[in-house]
Amino acid sequence: MTLVLDLADLSPDTATAVGGAKIGRLVEMRAAGTVVPGGFVLGVEAYRTHFRASGLDEQIAGILRSLPATPTDRQLTAASEELVGAIREVAVTSELCDAVAQRYADLCERRRDEALLVAVRSSATGEDGAQSSFAGIFESYLGISGAAEVIDAARDCWASLFGPRALRYRLERGTSHQDMPMAVGVLELVHARASGVAFSVHPVSGKSDRIVVEGSWGWGEAVVQGLVTPDRGEVGKSDLRPLRYTVATKKVISDYDPASRRVTEREMPAELQETRVLDDEELQAIADTVRRVERHYGHAVDVEWVLSQDRKPGGPVHVVQSRPVTVEGNAGQPAAWNSASFALKYAFQASR
Amino acid sequence: MATVVPVDEFVTDEWYPGFKPALDHAGWVVEPFRTFDKADEERFWFIDFHWPRGLTPMGLIWNEDGYSWGTQLAAESLPLPPGRGITQRIAGTHTYAAAIDVTDEWEIGERARRMMQNLPRFLENFEGTWAERREEVESWWTHLHSVDLRSLELAELGGYLRKARQFHKRAFEIHFEIMYPLLANYVGFYGACTEMGIDPGEIAKFLQGYDTKIMETDRALWDLTRKARGTGLGEVFAAHDATGMRAALSAHGGAASTWLTEFDDFLRVYGYRTEGSCDIALPSWIEDPTPALGMVKTFLLKESDHDFEAALANAVEERETAIDAARSSLSREEQQVFDAGLASCQAANFPWWQDDHNYYIDLRVSLPMRWATQQIAEVVGADASDDTIFLFWPELLQVVDGERKFSEFKGLVHDRKQYFDHWYERRASMPKVLGTIPEAVTDPILIEIFGLNSHFLKAVQAAGDDSDVKTLSGVAAARGTARGIARVLSNADELHRVQPGEILVCESTSPNWTPAFAKIAACVCDGGGTLSHAAIVGREYGVPTVTAVGLATVVISDGDEVEVDGTNGTVTVFKRADRPDEVPA
Repeated sequence: MTLVLDLADLSPDTATAVGGAKIGRLVEMRAAGTVVPGGFVLGVEAYRTHFRASGLDEQIAGILRSLPATPTDRQLTAASEELVGAIREVAVTSELCDAVAQRYADLCERRRDEALLVAVRSSATGEDGAQSSFAGIFESYLGISGAAEVIDAARDCWASLFGPRALRYRLERGTSHQDMPMAVGVLELVHARASGVAFSVHPVSGKSDRIVVEGSWGWGEAVVQGLVTPDRGEVGKSDLRPLRYTVATKKVISDYDPASRRVTEREMPAELQETRVLDDEELQAIADTVRRVERHYGHAVDVEWVLSQDRKPGGPVHVVQSRPVTVEGNAGQPAAWNSASFALKYAFQASR
Repeated sequence: MATVVPVDEFVTDEWYPGFKPALDHAGWVVEPFRTFDKADEERFWFIDFHWPRGLTPMGLIWNEDGYSWGTQLAAESLPLPPGRGITQRIAGTHTYAAAIDVTDEWEIGERARRMMQNLPRFLENFEGTWAERREEVESWWTHLHSVDLRSLELAELGGYLRKARQFHKRAFEIHFEIMYPLLANYVGFYGACTEMGIDPGEIAKFLQGYDTKIMETDRALWDLTRKARGTGLGEVFAAHDATGMRAALSAHGGAASTWLTEFDDFLRVYGYRTEGSCDIALPSWIEDPTPALGMVKTFLLKESDHDFEAALANAVEERETAIDAARSSLSREEQQVFDAGLASCQAANFPWWQDDHNYYIDLRVSLPMRWATQQIAEVVGADASDDTIFLFWPELLQVVDGERKFSEFKGLVHDRKQYFDHWYERRASMPKVLGTIPEAVTDPILIEIFGLNSHFLKAVQAAGDDSDVKTLSGVAAARGTARGIARVLSNADELHRVQPGEILVCESTSPNWTPAFAKIAACVCDGGGTLSHAAIVGREYGVPTVTAVGLATVVISDGDEVEVDGTNGTVTVFKRADRPDEVPA
């Protein structure tokens, strides 16, 4: 069963090669002592086998060949629709279906929930690298349940490799989809009370003495996609002391919708809009987790975190994703006090 | 397009009637003091708030010793990287000041390099340096004060006058030698705080609540008020004008006589101060105690005594709370920067010094020269004791050296007094600024003390369309809100007009205005930054204060009802005194 692998069986050394960047980082973080969701991955090899054996590779190559060197948006969109349609038409082999069904059943059994909700996440290789950030371009599906839905969602993840933005991105950089085969992670869905993003440096000023935490109620999709203005807190990195906290008016929540059986966005319940999301203990726990991830990688990171509904004070913070962070400023650590240099900077400039 | 206010109406080569200066009669460091010429229009000049009445010929000495010598020497010595200190032009009897900019980039860099070496050295030694300088000033003062001028011949009075001037000049060397580095350090700390996300309105609080010599005087004045109230003298004070108060108290006898004895004891310690900064034309409280008696009279109008201990305790508590709150929002690394900067500013505390030094320098250094000119007037048989201050320094030296007779100047003195009165009347309508209004100025004294910040510059650029101004904005200098009747004053002489609960509106305040802060509800100034006198005293007394409003004394009329928001830096004019039918907004 090398096409579909349990995360627990992956080694940090090979996880990225086998399961793509996103899954690779989860395995690395777990090895470094961070709590990440359990699950399995349709590995890079599953993608390669499916696309080669089904003839999709030739079909895709043909469609891409017919595109001019600098296509219009309309030409690009048309090509993308054709590619995605072709991928969705091809059935997955029974071998792969069986393997997925077996892993899903194992996961359900482990969690004692026969219709366990999962997140199906794209995990391309070459994705989320420091240089080429594909953040937000590839799809994730939250709230999936049952092996058949998992297969469909996985195929949709593969298809998102050929969305218009992904095509444009690769054309501009002169790279091929062959260079970034797409693994798909199937991870248990942490029942989120609150979620968000945290940065191991201030993302604007670049101050590296603090951890900045942004969060809202429910799942983190609304925060990640910028659909909600989250609460914002800052925590000192060296002593994990909460420094400041701003409660935002949060209008949108990502929530599990039983009707569509997905995590979707809806209006935030009125009583939660102005309510502070994180207390000091939670802020510190998140910051502590982010600090551990940063130390493990040795560079600044951003982290998508989730606090589960059953988390108690002192309990773990789940990390569902992390990336090297792109920072605008370069403030770093604050400059030590020096009367003359501060006088020079502020007393003798015409800037005020 | 830069806004230019023409200088033409002030272009002349004559000062007061009958005097064309030669540049060699007073020392200067970079640029001498003179009248306007057309080329000055390219520079930026602002009217100096220190002398709202104008200066007499002898009074103009301050421009020479303070600005042309003191500021320029200090700016060259530290040095200030982008500036060589302050220069001035005279318009009639009034002074406009401007910064002297360094324009060469290499030179600015070279000056910065020297400042980087000198400033930390100065700050480390501040306490000792200020103690030594205070001692020096005290030593000069004690010596000059000990001389019995009535025993001196005219030539000896000339010697005394020259020495008194030397003291004056030395005092202002010290003044700016201390002021520039202290201010630069404070502004640097202020910048570091804002960079760390600390609310700018909190920063001045970190350094408040330290007792000064000036506050000591105010406390003594309130002690006298308490005693007057306690011994039933309230009615005597209420029934008489401040000018006739001493006579009335003497006539009353009994408790009033006892009180006057204590008042005279007070004057012997705190009475060597003038009702205005550094002006030879102004008497000390010893010479004319009317201002002090007037203060006691208006203090008695307040229902209760000003509780200095409580106010100081409040200021200290507010300081400690503000420091704790600011520190708690900083990372550990930032706290190290903050703690070091705060320690440096507490050890060399600019806001504290800015009040304290006035006792030692600004309020008394012109007195020995004044005594000399008065005694010279006596000896030469002048008609009035102030005739001699209507001579310029070189003219008066000619008199004391026997080169010219004073009688030769009598006609000129008459003309010059008329000239003074003429310009005194013109003051209120004179432009606040002249020349080319810049986007920004670089000298920290001009920004923080004179308040030539972006608020002020914008306000003066927008001058002319103030016809319907309802809300004015400026620097939020001391927090809190108060509403009341505006008293628009042009100088400290009129302070007795201010009733408890009213709002003081003026060009700017100086230490002699301080006692008024115990009775006013709020204060609004045309000029002044967060470190101006009004801002510092406003915070110590808990009086909402807005500075750098630009045109407050023009837009607000005496008697208007106004609301001052010292937290947000706004002043709202509700009901115009001269348009009583206007509906309050």
